[in-house]
Amino acid sequence: MPEELIKESQNVSETPEEREFELRAHIGSVWSGGRLFIAMYTFLDASLIFSYFYLRSSNNGLLWRPNHVTAPTSYGWAIYSLVLLATLMAFYGRTRLRKGGVLDWQMACWIGVFAGLIALLLQIWEFTAVPFAPGSSGYSSTFIGFACENIMTLVLVTYWIETALARSYRIRKEIGGDQPLMSMHPSAQSFRANVSAMTYFLGFTALASTLLFAMFYLL
Amino acid sequence: MTISAERPTQVDDHSPVSPVAVKEPRGFGSGWRGQHLGTAIIAGFLGYVFGHWLGNYIASSYSYIANSGQNSVADFLALAFMVVGWYVGIGALNYPLAKMFGREPAHEVEYTGFGKYFRYNLDHKVVGLQYVVGVLLFLFTGGLLAMAIRTELLNPTTHFFNAGTYIEIVSEHGTIMMMMATSIVVGPLGNYFVPLMIGARRMAFPRIEAFSFWTFLIGYAVIFSALPFGGFPTGWTGYAPLQTQAGPGMISYLFGFAVIGVGMMTAGFNLAITVVNYRAPGMTWSRVPVFVWGILSTAALLTLATPVLFSAGLFGVLDKTAQTAFYVTEHGGSSFLWENLFWFFGHPEVYIMALPGFGIVGEIIPVFTRKPLFAYRIAAAGMIGVALLSFFVWQHHLFQSGIDPDMRPLFMLTTELISIPTGFIFLVGMGTLYRAKIRFEVPMLFCMAVYFNFLIGGVTGVFLSDVPVNVTVHGGFFVLSHFHYTIMGGLVFAFFAGLYFWLPKMTGKVMNKKLGLWHFWTMFVFFNMTFFPMFFIGLLGQPRRVFTYAKNLQSWNDFSSISAYLLGLSFLIFVANLMWSQFISPVKSPANPWDSLGLEWQTATPIPRHNFDRIPVIMTDPYHYSEEGAPALADFSGGAKTNMSSETVPGNDPT
Repeated sequence: MPEELIKESQNVSETPEEREFELRAHIGSVWSGGRLFIAMYTFLDASLIFSYFYLRSSNNGLLWRPNHVTAPTSYGWAIYSLVLLATLMAFYGRTRLRKGGVLDWQMACWIGVFAGLIALLLQIWEFTAVPFAPGSSGYSSTFIGFACENIMTLVLVTYWIETALARSYRIRKEIGGDQPLMSMHPSAQSFRANVSAMTYFLGFTALASTLLFAMFYLL
Repeated sequence: MTISAERPTQVDDHSPVSPVAVKEPRGFGSGWRGQHLGTAIIAGFLGYVFGHWLGNYIASSYSYIANSGQNSVADFLALAFMVVGWYVGIGALNYPLAKMFGREPAHEVEYTGFGKYFRYNLDHKVVGLQYVVGVLLFLFTGGLLAMAIRTELLNPTTHFFNAGTYIEIVSEHGTIMMMMATSIVVGPLGNYFVPLMIGARRMAFPRIEAFSFWTFLIGYAVIFSALPFGGFPTGWTGYAPLQTQAGPGMISYLFGFAVIGVGMMTAGFNLAITVVNYRAPGMTWSRVPVFVWGILSTAALLTLATPVLFSAGLFGVLDKTAQTAFYVTEHGGSSFLWENLFWFFGHPEVYIMALPGFGIVGEIIPVFTRKPLFAYRIAAAGMIGVALLSFFVWQHHLFQSGIDPDMRPLFMLTTELISIPTGFIFLVGMGTLYRAKIRFEVPMLFCMAVYFNFLIGGVTGVFLSDVPVNVTVHGGFFVLSHFHYTIMGGLVFAFFAGLYFWLPKMTGKVMNKKLGLWHFWTMFVFFNMTFFPMFFIGLLGQPRRVFTYAKNLQSWNDFSSISAYLLGLSFLIFVANLMWSQFISPVKSPANPWDSLGLEWQTATPIPRHNFDRIPVIMTDPYHYSEEGAPALADFSGGAKTNMSSETVPGNDPT
């Protein structure tokens, strides 16, 4: 157990009931925090979607999308596919984890991390390949906004998967035993709640990516 | 974020584990060699220099920059790296980086001395006090700028500032004050008292809480950095196309809003999750203190409305740096897009500022009337109603621009509808005051002033929601007076009510009553003398943000300006009181100076690190004043054992 946690637990007098209460509250916080985070992100994405349709319907100076310029579709497909892959891996991994397949979950996460990193690099690299100037039209502006927010999302998602993965290795060492990640140890319970929240967020990301991909590359 | 959760629970006996004293660590990383405000400032400065250099290196050859004499990329990167440097310097990134390697950070230990207030501290009480200083810094900076505005308006023809400087001062004043107002209650009092009021030992996410405070503080620096860059000429609303045409100070505004937006989102997120999950056993939703309801509904608005502000700021920064055209109509964008995004956040923000004030007042008046809060459930429902409806009214800010005229009646209706739940909250207060034997202590006086001021602000708000009135007085001093009555007259007065009420708990020292009374009466009288004439000034046609006006309005303006100086003086009385009572001649506070039944008063002073020796089991709501045979508030002996009962329960003194 890390030094900080020992100090923290030594510094407060607790009954077993209080520990149980704190653990329940913590697990609840991770659960509801994950859902509230999705709600926050929904509003963030909604502002981009609103901007897209607002400028599209305004079509000021007939400059919404002259000549129907489109961002490089190959990049779009690649990034979108990688996000879907990371999401599928997260869901597959969680299913396997529930059945005790820790190694499968870890492998799925590694794939998710690499998918996220490649998607991130492609999203950044796409800036060099767009066939329009950022301010040449409403579409081009919203696309640049979308790309920036997508970079933020990809960083966040990749970071979340990576830290969950790193935590799983730490907890294995910390708890020991046969199936440390599946045990009733508080760290393991907290870890599983975090995995659940992460998986849900990835599911949300995949849904949002589908919508945004359709808006920017297909419509 | 898993401190408590990662404690081992394989303990069979039911005896509490005894606390062990923790010494402050020695060696590198501790004391003044560790990370604190000083290192944050240094790292922020270095980040600024590096970002500016990087921006020049990257973008100085771009054609639109090479010939403009202004490198917006460098300006933005300087600020962005300043923020990153700040986070590195204060230690906000230690844990997120350590997590990547599966490690727990070693430095986050409990500092006990005065130095803890200058660090990335995870104790919600320390963060609350940090916020007190932070919001006062905002308040007094904005107040000084207000004095400059009133000085300029003393005379319509003799000028202290030129027109450009005047609008920069007005813009900076508005932005600083608005950003301050979003956090003035949630930050200091919300962070400090919500866990205490719900019987929690900690926040759900202490690191996120600390992050929100240090983000709030660097956001202040970013917004204030606009002044050396020549300010921004848009007022606090930042409207395009003026925004697009403005100089580098506009980047400080846009990025500053985004940074403070992150602070607001994280603060709201943490508070909402704490209230939902960390309520003590027995604290059902119908027993949650009304202040916590106010904070919870505000937190919901902060988490959901602020992401839109973040996006709006990001798009504005992209317009400035990457030459996108979100808000440039000539290039396929739209200046009205900014107005929509801004006000989608901006109008809920009005309630972000109002709801915590209502919560404070609702919490305090039962204490000084010795009566139960009238229609508690209506108050809670009113707050939820206001929070929900606030998402459907933003278009009334566009009555004069960017809206289909046929849509006006709809948004007029939604805006008027919001006065119903607001009226509920107001009537709850009136019902509590009805036939009460009121103790006119300083906090109570401030509460009474909130009702008086907010009544004026609220009624004029209903007027303003009507399209014909709105069209007539739009952009004038009438509107200005209206929102000062709601924000300053409502929120700032409520903040002082809360501060006078809770400071004895926060610091263990009482505020001087005589100075408090002087503070209240001067603030109340001169606030009204400053802002009430502005209704007439506005009706007579004086526009906002213009440094000159018709000659016949000078006597009104002079009256308002002189009153404003005296209003400023009243704040100095508060500062004098604070210094005197807390530092120069401190007087120890009784354990419960107001005889409140609130849970926060039932723990020791100074408050232990983990708030309660045992997690209390809540028996009832905290408003059973003067009720014979009222149930005890809570059982403090059980340690979260919900099936226990107690004969001796402190807290209820039905006098």
